[in-house]
Amino acid sequence: MNPGGWIFMGASWLFILALVAFSLVRVLAAKEEGGEPPAPSAK
Amino acid sequence: MARERWGSRIGIIMAVAGSAIGLGNFLRFPVQAAQNGGGAFMIPYFVAILLLGLPLMWIEWTVGRFGGGFGHSTAPGMFHTLWNKNRFIKYFGVIGIFGPIVIYIYYVYIESWLLGYSWFALTGRYSACTTSEEMTAFLRGYQGAASNEHFSGLGTAYLFFLITFAANLIVLYGGIRRGIEVVCKYGLPVLFVLGVALMIRVFTLGTPDPAAPENNVVGGLGYLWNPKWSALLDAKVWLAAAGQVFFTLSVGIGVILTYASYLTKKDDVALSGLSAAATNELAEVIIGGSIVIPAAFAFFGAAATTAIAQGGAFNLGFVTMPLVLQKMAWGNLLGFAWFVLLFIAGITSSVSLAQPAIAFLEDEFNLSRKEATLIFGLNTFVLCHAAIFFLGNGVVDELDFWGGTFCLVLFATIETILFAWVFGMENAWTELHVGSDITIPRVYRFIIKYVTPAFLLLVLGFWLVQEGVPVILMKNVKPENVRYVLGTRIMLVALFANLAAMVWFAWRHRRAQEAIA
Repeated sequence: MNPGGWIFMGASWLFILALVAFSLVRVLAAKEEGGEPPAPSAK
Repeated sequence: MARERWGSRIGIIMAVAGSAIGLGNFLRFPVQAAQNGGGAFMIPYFVAILLLGLPLMWIEWTVGRFGGGFGHSTAPGMFHTLWNKNRFIKYFGVIGIFGPIVIYIYYVYIESWLLGYSWFALTGRYSACTTSEEMTAFLRGYQGAASNEHFSGLGTAYLFFLITFAANLIVLYGGIRRGIEVVCKYGLPVLFVLGVALMIRVFTLGTPDPAAPENNVVGGLGYLWNPKWSALLDAKVWLAAAGQVFFTLSVGIGVILTYASYLTKKDDVALSGLSAAATNELAEVIIGGSIVIPAAFAFFGAAATTAIAQGGAFNLGFVTMPLVLQKMAWGNLLGFAWFVLLFIAGITSSVSLAQPAIAFLEDEFNLSRKEATLIFGLNTFVLCHAAIFFLGNGVVDELDFWGGTFCLVLFATIETILFAWVFGMENAWTELHVGSDITIPRVYRFIIKYVTPAFLLLVLGFWLVQEGVPVILMKNVKPENVRYVLGTRIMLVALFANLAAMVWFAWRHRRAQEAIA
């Protein structure tokens, strides 16, 4: 793999991992603040 | 009847991600990337995610939650609530039920192959096949396309189809919380564990054949990721990237609308939509991009990998991967892991494809879950036989064209214009941020209103010229298959007309009831 390949692979992975980490942190933070929504009974 | 709700926020994120993560993440993406500029492909790919994928995700989550507030779980009712002065818009919404059914008809059959192959891998049924030709013969025998030493008919494939079909119905019968949410909440982590395990195994392959040192994993990664800059000047590469983003995120089908309709008004959609998209990308780019192509390259080299990639996704999944995994220690277990991974990806997608039709029957005809599942099950069971018995006659390609390509792009274009222009960007932006846990950058107001619709119209136009017209005119259909393709089209027209008539009847019934009240 040439340097360009490593750069593209690394940048793509970093971007996606950052996106996943951001989402996870915010979802968990929102869960702590508001808690999970109450689960009404299914029909 | 009280409306069904998701049990937890993680549940719906997993369900939407489960719907999006399918066979395409592991088989289609790496091939598209390798054939369209390698690492350079990621530039149009991420541009398409930012300008097409994420906006569509947010639109569908918002429209779904909005429609659910009016008791509608499917596109006809949702489109009608967005533009209630227009009597015909609900019929455009039929595409959001029709498309998923059409995909379901063939998808569930292909999903059953994965279950079958999981079993074959575990029991070593195909372990005698050591060449591409032998593995292809095994697959053709299984599909009933040839009678050979492996299979003498469709019996085995049909048995696995029955099991898979029944498994889908059991999940659907369980409903949103006790069926779909449970399967996705437990299935997706298993999928990720299996994916990471396979990825680690591939990364530790090194150079499998010391006599051919150029065939190694790092070379395989280079085959996929080395940028070919000239590709960026090719419009086809940009179109391929937009197409891949479209298909991978499950947007334009109608399933996200239905899933989001089970949210409450104060539930967040902005962060949840982003989370589902991020989870899908993790499965696609990081895991999907690290298994098939690097492994094939390490064992077969560059020239053979090019030929394999051109052979298509089925060839890659059912011929190349079993061969590659067999060459490793614990090959049977790795093969089993591979096909179970794909089966989980398949079932979490197929139940999502079934849900709009079931929800439509429940909402608009006031049927119970049991009745709706039974009606859906009986009808699709009959329709699936077209895919099973006429697989080699172009029927599946035809279903895939209308359900899996044409309807997607058309439906996404309609819903985007409806959301941004008819419902209005001011209302749309406010609705998107109700209960939101993140603030979406304001530039997306502009993107959703102007860039996404323009991008979609461009994709639709290019695609119609490049692929649509030849397919519609049956230019690539063999003469002996023309009658099967025509038969499939008649079946699809009948299905669409039937669904449109059901919408007409449901609204007529509703108006009559409102008049009485």
